[in-house]
Amino acid sequence: MNSSLKSQKKSVVVTGASRGLGLAICTQLLQENYFVVAISRSLSEDLSRLCEEHKQSIAHISYDLADLNGIHALCKSITEAHGRPYGLVNNAAIGLDGVLATMHNSEISTLLDINVQAPILLSKYLSRSMMLNRTGRIINISSIIASTGFNGLSVYAASKAALEGFTRSLSREVGKAGITVNCVAPGYMQTEMTSSLQGDKLESVKRRSPLGRLASPADAASAVLYLMSEQAKSMTGTIMTVDAGSTA
Amino acid sequence: MSELKQTILTSMEHVALIADCTLVENISDDTVLLQSGLDSLGFAMLVAQLEEELGVDPFSEMELAVYPRTLGEFVNVYSNALS
Repeated sequence: MNSSLKSQKKSVVVTGASRGLGLAICTQLLQENYFVVAISRSLSEDLSRLCEEHKQSIAHISYDLADLNGIHALCKSITEAHGRPYGLVNNAAIGLDGVLATMHNSEISTLLDINVQAPILLSKYLSRSMMLNRTGRIINISSIIASTGFNGLSVYAASKAALEGFTRSLSREVGKAGITVNCVAPGYMQTEMTSSLQGDKLESVKRRSPLGRLASPADAASAVLYLMSEQAKSMTGTIMTVDAGSTA
Repeated sequence: MSELKQTILTSMEHVALIADCTLVENISDDTVLLQSGLDSLGFAMLVAQLEEELGVDPFSEMELAVYPRTLGEFVNVYSNALS
């Protein structure tokens, strides 16, 4: 793209960009005139369409965040190709549903690598560029499961609680450099990741919500957009819950 | 003074400026890094600045964690990484 046009836009790195909440975040960032570096294992049809519609404002990188050793090189290549990023949205996560007692150790390790270690390493390397710019935004996608608990999601819950603890302490560490660090904790959303939540379980979640429905990926993406904005410059170390009131 | 050491000192001055730190005078190889005037965030910024300038982050590439104590040791870490 035209380099002067690109330099006028703030660039934001979004992981897990191919579907669900990640895709909604990319869509809203593009609407608000950010340059998006979308990371996902593969290019979904929806993300491919978004890239086609916004050729000048989005770059897709195929990367599997389970490869922790390559994250430094990934961040270096992002900075070299697109300049110092303004924002990072750690959205990529896997949610393995299952009883802990029978969950394979390799599945526990993979979940913790992708949901906890990868966001920490991405924050480590990309916050450096933000420090040099004296401004930046790191937004970690947590879940209400971090504080409420759900049968069959103990390891996922542990990973999200870890991310919230990480957010609070990192906000204290990098605040002096003008970087804010926050979490968005969505409730149950109808995405591919939560597709196992059907029937009575789904109806029960909807019934418990004061608004009588689930929050949508677009609702949670709007919270991310707010935290990314200049208007949120005084918010750091917080957890924003977007769950249609189900944890109220 | 080696070109590398000069690059590191120039970067330290740049980082001190943007990190709102004041460097001590007469920094030498024996200057203890934590007494140089840069705080821990300043050192993170220095590593970031040097990665942009030199293209390497030796600390990430090392298998074991290494924390140089003096400027001389810090310069050696970069010298080894670039050799």
